[in-house]
Amino acid sequence: MKTILVADDEEPIRKLLEGELSEEGYRVVLAANAREALKIVETQPIDLVVLDIRMPGMDGLEALPRILGLKEGIPVILHTAYSQYQESFMSWAADAYIVKSADFTELKDNIKELLHGK
Amino acid sequence: MMSSLKGLTTIIMAGGKGERLDPLTRDKAKPAITFGGIYRIIDFTLSNCINSGIRRIYVLTQYGGFSLDQHLRLAWDIVHPELGEYIYSMPPQQIMVDRWYRGTADSIYQNLTLLEKERPRQVLILSGDHVYKMNYLEMLEFHLSRDADMTVAAVMVPRKEASSFGVLKVDAASEVQNFLEKPPEPPGLPDNPDFSLASMGVYIFKAEVLVEEVIKDAKKKTGKHDFGQDIIPQMVGRKRVFAFNYQDAAGAPRYWRDIGLLDAYFRAHYDLLGDSPVFDLYDRDWPIRSRPSLHPPSKYIYSGKAIIVEDSLIASGCIIEGAVRESVLSPGVRVGPGARVDAAILWNDVEIGPGAQVQRAIIEDGVRVPPGFAIGQDPQLDARRFPVTPEGVVVVPNNVVLE
Repeated sequence: MKTILVADDEEPIRKLLEGELSEEGYRVVLAANAREALKIVETQPIDLVVLDIRMPGMDGLEALPRILGLKEGIPVILHTAYSQYQESFMSWAADAYIVKSADFTELKDNIKELLHGK
Repeated sequence: MMSSLKGLTTIIMAGGKGERLDPLTRDKAKPAITFGGIYRIIDFTLSNCINSGIRRIYVLTQYGGFSLDQHLRLAWDIVHPELGEYIYSMPPQQIMVDRWYRGTADSIYQNLTLLEKERPRQVLILSGDHVYKMNYLEMLEFHLSRDADMTVAAVMVPRKEASSFGVLKVDAASEVQNFLEKPPEPPGLPDNPDFSLASMGVYIFKAEVLVEEVIKDAKKKTGKHDFGQDIIPQMVGRKRVFAFNYQDAAGAPRYWRDIGLLDAYFRAHYDLLGDSPVFDLYDRDWPIRSRPSLHPPSKYIYSGKAIIVEDSLIASGCIIEGAVRESVLSPGVRVGPGARVDAAILWNDVEIGPGAQVQRAIIEDGVRVPPGFAIGQDPQLDARRFPVTPEGVVVVPNNVVLE
């Protein structure tokens, strides 16, 4: 079973994603901020990270290269309510950039593609 | 031209360990090594920048960074921050990742925040350990005219000698087909098969392409994370990569030297000497600057024996009472009465005692050669005492006591 880390500072979104992704057959680990996410990537076997951008303390764009530095080649999906960060060079290091919507189809499709290939 | 300069960020990579120049690099970065008497190797690249009108420069340091940082502060504090100019020395920040630079491409990846902050249109990437004069704007014009994603500066070398270089395989339109590191059978140029194109380690990128490519490279677990060996092959066929042939109006290769080996370091000094040197330091159109001299003038003292100085570069502050031929003397060197210095490179404050003889040698700063001592006269004896290069140049580091 593949393990997905969801890092998002909003609890309702964490819970929603936990439910949705568990239903898809993934084990889901949750982090409420970037520092927690880094700790988890460092200490637990994680196959993919769903990373929010706007989080207090350290944002997702700062956390992204650190995650890649801790675990080389780990797929990371940026999952944010804002589209403007796509212009940031730092966001280009992610495998996908998905703007949050009520429908999680795009996110799920991307996860499937990154973990299992097309 | 000014408009294209405004969108340009320049990065000089100066963090290499320079192991093949040991012992000269045992405590300092290769770009910080003394060259040509009064210069450090990086002064040539920095002078090229200033002479090209480039005044916003990051110098990426790593190994032996203190010597380089010190030099940049003492010699290159010449730009105006209030006009947006800078020459910054940057050690690895270790913000993005907790590691040293793995290669040249990784050094850019680790500094993506710099590019994010500046948002340049083009990025000029240079090495801090080459000796040459180049107007980078000519290359930028070429890069823009081809709408290239990456342009690699390259110099023609005879095909038979190209095996010691990183060689570019190009088509008739100068588009790069491949990069070959030290190939046993170097490819010739389409219109000049006796010559190959050696990469000078000077690159211009479209900024966004650079970012994409170094991110892609950083995700690879294998490879050297090097511009030549990894980034060029990764881009060829997908992106527009061009070679900028660094030649004069008559089509002859222009002067460029990679100071990678002790013998290359020694030989390159001979390009500075003579009536019309291959590499002219006296070229008023292209001044090479360094730290301003704090020394008094050199003096030549007649003490009964003839003083001879032939075909040499003598920096200020030297006191010469002996004979100096085909040599390069840094500031503060003393050559005692009756001493003979032939084909030697003497760094700052070296003292050659009365009657001593020095031939084919590189002597580090502060070394005191005792009266009557001989260096470069007896190969077997020299090899027991000092490092000696494959071409027989004796290197005298300043951590040995001569007696």
